[in-house]
Amino acid sequence: MTSVMEKGPRPTQYIGARVLRTEDPTFLTGQARYTDDITLPGMAEAAFLRSPHAHARIVNIDTSEAEKIDGVLGVFTGRDLNEVVGKFTAGVPGRTDVNPQELQMIPADKARFVGDLVAVVVATSRYIAEDAVDLIDVEWEVLPHVIDPEAALEPDAPVLHEELGHNNFAHIEYKKGDVDRLFEEADHVFSKRFHAGRFSPSPLETRGVIADYNTASGEVVVWTSSQSPHLVRSLIAPPLGIAESRIRVIAGAVGGGFGEKCHVFQEEVIIPALSKLVGRPVKWIEDRYENLAASLHAKEIITYMDIACTSEGKFLAFRARYVGVNGAYQSYPWTALVEAMTTAAALPSLYAIEGVQYTIDCPYTNRCPIGAYRAVGRTAGTSARESLIDDIARELQIDPVELRLRNTIPNEPYVSLTGAKYDGGTYRECTERARDLANYDQFRERQRRLREEEGRYIGIAFVPSVEPSAWGSDMGKVNGYLASEIFDAATVTIEPDGSVSVTCGLHNHGQGIETSLAQVAADRLGVRLESVRVTMGDTRAAPYGFGTHSSRAAVVGGGCVLRASGDVQEKMAQMAANMLEVSAEDIEWYDGVASVKGVPTKTVTIAEVAAHAYYGGRSRPADLEPALTATRSYDPLETWPNSCVAAEVEVDIETGRVDVTRFWSVEDCGVMLNPMIVEGQTVGAIAQGIGGALLEDLAYDPETGQFLAGSLMDYLYPSATEVPEVIMEHLETPSPVTEGGMKGMGEGGLSVAPAAVLNAVADALSPLGVNVERSPLPPNTVLGYIREAGRAAEAGEG
Amino acid sequence: MSDQLPEVSDEPTVVTVTVNGKKQRALAEPRMLLSDFVRHGLGLTGTHVGCEHGVCGACSIRVDGEVVRSCLMLAVQVDGCTIETIEGMAKGDSLHPIQQAFQEEHGLQCGFCTPAMVLTTQRLLEESPKPSEGEIREYLSGNICRCTGYQGIVASVQCAARKIADQEAQQS
Repeated sequence: MTSVMEKGPRPTQYIGARVLRTEDPTFLTGQARYTDDITLPGMAEAAFLRSPHAHARIVNIDTSEAEKIDGVLGVFTGRDLNEVVGKFTAGVPGRTDVNPQELQMIPADKARFVGDLVAVVVATSRYIAEDAVDLIDVEWEVLPHVIDPEAALEPDAPVLHEELGHNNFAHIEYKKGDVDRLFEEADHVFSKRFHAGRFSPSPLETRGVIADYNTASGEVVVWTSSQSPHLVRSLIAPPLGIAESRIRVIAGAVGGGFGEKCHVFQEEVIIPALSKLVGRPVKWIEDRYENLAASLHAKEIITYMDIACTSEGKFLAFRARYVGVNGAYQSYPWTALVEAMTTAAALPSLYAIEGVQYTIDCPYTNRCPIGAYRAVGRTAGTSARESLIDDIARELQIDPVELRLRNTIPNEPYVSLTGAKYDGGTYRECTERARDLANYDQFRERQRRLREEEGRYIGIAFVPSVEPSAWGSDMGKVNGYLASEIFDAATVTIEPDGSVSVTCGLHNHGQGIETSLAQVAADRLGVRLESVRVTMGDTRAAPYGFGTHSSRAAVVGGGCVLRASGDVQEKMAQMAANMLEVSAEDIEWYDGVASVKGVPTKTVTIAEVAAHAYYGGRSRPADLEPALTATRSYDPLETWPNSCVAAEVEVDIETGRVDVTRFWSVEDCGVMLNPMIVEGQTVGAIAQGIGGALLEDLAYDPETGQFLAGSLMDYLYPSATEVPEVIMEHLETPSPVTEGGMKGMGEGGLSVAPAAVLNAVADALSPLGVNVERSPLPPNTVLGYIREAGRAAEAGEG
Repeated sequence: MSDQLPEVSDEPTVVTVTVNGKKQRALAEPRMLLSDFVRHGLGLTGTHVGCEHGVCGACSIRVDGEVVRSCLMLAVQVDGCTIETIEGMAKGDSLHPIQQAFQEEHGLQCGFCTPAMVLTTQRLLEESPKPSEGEIREYLSGNICRCTGYQGIVASVQCAARKIADQEAQQS
């Protein structure tokens, strides 16, 4: 299929050009293969029985009726599976303030949240498997449950895991600077409790696993909707008792991940185990209820935050206590601390302060576990901090943008009080540009006039950020994973016909890296983009890697492709030099043609060079091996993109409805590989942020422990009518520490958009005395705030 | 209503449909969803299933011209109908103008919602060849995209409208 690139002129350099995505035609014609699109001969299907109770002991499970149904191949409980598979151990290696947890594949003793795994049926079709699930008879002893995280920390709370004896997974403390003195001597101390809501990626494609176990070879092929196929392989191997060399994990097309699918799930062990037990390939596709109730939740944190500052609004110190609202188990391998611990590490953000102190508690509750979701560790913490900063601006009567600029760090590389090594950026300029783009100087007058003359309430808010990206080992460590070792690798090969194959352990599920990594390889090799093919997602084809998450792909993938391409290029130059009888230093490559500097007519094509390398025999230099290939790995230093967004909202004070009317984003992610892709990622993350601020709520009933958001009628995604056009601008400060100068991007919008929307609502309603202390803000919550403020005002007058 | 439900057979029946211009026959149990029939009975996996309760729109296909959610219909309901899916849009290796527009305006990321988004766009442009931005957003509000924030999709629909208008101008 012809790509549009081929019709258009070639940009002088691919890096930085708006190259159309080469992967698009496959998706646009319905030819992409997602997990459920794969059918294998003799394939059976699995369906799970999940707990209807928040907390209940399993007294007995009777599977006899289920087993009688025609087409049922087997019914398996936790007890059955414990006999054939091992466990996961979820902890944070290197930390003594964390209590590691053993995870059974299906808990055999009790269920700890609504949706917890109880049993699994394998049948000849999904329809039959679900019929059989309905006939499994479980005798339950219902136990007291706990939904409120702060109650879960009390000594009399129901304990979820008896072996731990209490509910706190981790208690972490950190202090830097003379925090006590700074708070004592400050002109003002401002405080706030902010409860950031529970939402989740809920990718449009749910999770899904197919396993095909070969009893003769002892090998298993696992298809899974994952962002990190090698990570899956490494972590399912021990519980399955199969060597990594005998496990092939394939993640084909993946319909969105957003962090949910960079974990490794029990089902990724269970389905291969079932394939071995029933002697057939087995498929399981998660349904939407399972995805909402029982895959992973994210983001929810209760933050108690204090800011010490001077009368002029100079911030002196930040202090926070985080209650990370975990579910009933740890997500694997990152644990629930992937949210709370990284939130704490980001506490100072881009503000110049002299002291920082935090504590983290991470209580178990009878809910779905917490995992990573795009901008993990930023959404909740940013909302809490930036909400308090806007409160301070109102109290001290300082303009909120000016207050932030007064406290912003300089542009040079900077080490934060939590040890983060910012690699320099445009920390002030992004905020200033956002302010100008939004015509902020005219906003206040418009706001006053609309309120006074038309009774309309509009508000605006600006939220700057600097954020971790491109997780390598150092970025893991500064975020609390003290033993983290994270890298990726890429293989670049010039095939015998001169075409280029690139493969790596990252995964492409919307980020466009099939295209952007080809841009990188094409530039570095000096070939045409069309000759480069990037493939990912198969552990048997790709070198080891940790997958696509944490804004890693452009930096880490780009870095290893640059390195490997550099090595191959060197060899290509030697081959070409040999053919043209010049020295390798005089060879220049462009569009797949090697020419001699100063002698443009003396050329040889990459196809000729490849043929010479592979089939040249004795005419090839004796010291050069034939294959034109190189594999290189890359573990980047810390790199921190920065941005500022602004949201304008209108609040209907009669109904409580919030409309996000305008949105601006100015970001600096260093060298941009493809601005079109950068913009797509920016808007996508902002839309998810608007969802988290206003619509999406994975609610539980505290009385019954029941899950209240089990369908898309209850859990509301933003649709095209809820997301406004986003006006974007880019600043470009190349990173001095990464290969190629790229900084990671893609998550930023979800760090800051919720805070911007929430603060804009608070700004709109501030004349009414409303203070926003939680998210999300559905209309009834907003109305509640307005009425509460009205009552307080009346009481004040009375 | 009588207490006795009428006896319903669970035996598969033959469903005959015209799919992307070709007549096809396949077996379906009475309870089989149309989405499962299209994907696994007819092997057209370009139609995706996101929620199975009619909210996300990813399973949208065209039945006798109308855009329907195939997860909310049974396969036996389309016996004798004409079905259009994403697989029928491109002519050989040349993309339909709507597909081209989605590539040019970055109207997709993970691609899961894309086939339904493209088919819904096709119907919109038949009904309203020059839709306003508000009209586009309203019309597509039943199709969820979790990746793009819709900006690229709106631009793609506008671009597609221009392409189709140009094509028609050239033909007339």
